Amino acid sequence: MHVVNTADLTKIYENRYIALNALNLRVEKGQVFGLVGPNGAGKSTTFRILLGLQKPTAGSIQVFGEPMGADRADLRRRIGYLPTNPTFPRHMTPIAFLQFVGSVLGMPRDRAKIQLSRLLQAVDLTSAASQPVRGFSTGMLTRLGIAAALMNDPELLILDEPTSGLDPAGRKQTIELIRELSGRDRTIIIATHILTDVERVCTDVGIISQGRLIYSGPMADMRRLARQGTIAVEIEGNTAAFEQEIHTLDEFGSLRYERLGSEFRITFLGTEALTEYLARVLQLIDRTGVELLHIDTGSDEIEEAFLRRLEDDRTRGFLRAAAWAAAQEVSGNGGNGANGSNGTKKVEGVDAGIPGHPSI
Amino acid sequence: MQAFLAILRYDLGQLLRSWVTRIWVPMLAFPALFLVVVAANEGELASETVAAYINAVLMPLSALAVAVLTAGAIAGEAQIIADGILSRSVTRAEFVWAKIAARLGFALAVYLLIMLPFTYLIVRYASPDISYGGLAVGLFTGALLLTFLGALGLTLSTMMTNVLVSILALLLLVTVSGVVLQFLGLTWMSTTAVLRDMAPTIRGETPVWDTFRVVLVFAGLTLLAIFSTLTVFRARDL
Repeated sequence: MHVVNTADLTKIYENRYIALNALNLRVEKGQVFGLVGPNGAGKSTTFRILLGLQKPTAGSIQVFGEPMGADRADLRRRIGYLPTNPTFPRHMTPIAFLQFVGSVLGMPRDRAKIQLSRLLQAVDLTSAASQPVRGFSTGMLTRLGIAAALMNDPELLILDEPTSGLDPAGRKQTIELIRELSGRDRTIIIATHILTDVERVCTDVGIISQGRLIYSGPMADMRRLARQGTIAVEIEGNTAAFEQEIHTLDEFGSLRYERLGSEFRITFLGTEALTEYLARVLQLIDRTGVELLHIDTGSDEIEEAFLRRLEDDRTRGFLRAAAWAAAQEVSGNGGNGANGSNGTKKVEGVDAGIPGHPSI
Repeated sequence: MQAFLAILRYDLGQLLRSWVTRIWVPMLAFPALFLVVVAANEGELASETVAAYINAVLMPLSALAVAVLTAGAIAGEAQIIADGILSRSVTRAEFVWAKIAARLGFALAVYLLIMLPFTYLIVRYASPDISYGGLAVGLFTGALLLTFLGALGLTLSTMMTNVLVSILALLLLVTVSGVVLQFLGLTWMSTTAVLRDMAPTIRGETPVWDTFRVVLVFAGLTLLAIFSTLTVFRARDL
């Protein structure tokens, strides 16, 4: 069953800013889904619509198989939410706030007390439990937010930038906590732009850019995709000869490389298997007589794959715009009836994406 | 219902801790005590003393306090409301009703807390010229005006995101409406006219129909404001 299912979800603010552009997101039960994207990509807007805090301009959203809306308190009862930089009434203590959350959720007072003490211990806030939150650090506020999100032991946990503003120790602790929370039939959606966090906890990943989901799939596929085309070699000797010959590695020249001293990062844009490219690189090393010091096919892999996806999406966006302009031009020149009843001509092939990089 | 009660309790706690309350209540109480002493010693007319207190002290100060407490009720806490409360199992209607109950209830509680002992002492120690029915109507009308102002403040609070703009808009709306109503020949509907007639009302000299139409208009406007608050807030993106 899809825990979250959106169909062409669109959000346009005041007819000026497109926050979500026909987003189709599906999250299955039990997944730890990482929603990755740069700032302003639409992650938080997706969450706010998912919680019924905002209404979509178009499209639909289903949570637990039912339409979500402002008055679906019954669905929200099954969701826990941690916003980015959570804010709390400044005078309240963690105990008072969690008690308030418990009473909003309709929990019996005794059960709420047991649950809050367990959660405060889990998020390591027991020693600060009776202090007002006004003196809390970002990390403590985030941990309190996580505790509040877990008060109702939710089936779906939504975490918006859970590690934002945390120091390395805080980040590690939060990631460990999320890892502990996964499983037990709980579905978790994490929005972040910190890719290493996603790699460490997520089973599935979706990349969102300019309000559109440009990739969605298992984390393992993303890793495979990341490894697919990048080979880093560190060489010694006649590096100039190696550099001169690099372009021969792909017969269509569809590669790019980056040189950092004696290290070359070669990215293949074709669709052949990585082993094939690896064999060619080794042959080139042999041919040019350089000495191989180090070879790597996976460093910074996720980040690389993420950036590649974004770049592809931008290119496709440009091609779509060009196709649209061409269609407009044909329509204007051809006049009515020349290319069909409405005077427009479909430009073939462009919507299918870049050759070798099919549309997702 | 659980959520409604939880939010109501939380909001009343906020109001009791508010600096507005800490200033508002003493500023109403001290002049009231002073007037009781003066009226008792100088033999002032009870109706005139109560009306003067309502017009010169209670209404201006309370209008300002109610404007701050209601016009900032939602606008001032937008993020906490959205992230901390409405992202949980609470409906918008439950939330707004809890806010309405807390803010209007609190304003009325303060009003009664001051006015009931004050009118009792005035009736007892000043020169008696009041009618008990008139006094009840006068107190009810004052409460109705404050309720109307609070309901209007809550409506503006759901429409605007800036607390200060919301408060200024409320005060401006009430002030300008008086001028507009005068221009339209409906002066009796303005808050100023209702307050001006407070002394005769307390003496029981205001015709029943005049009182009835004032109550009808302000009760209607209050209900309209509450309805607007619910409608606007249900449709609003948070």
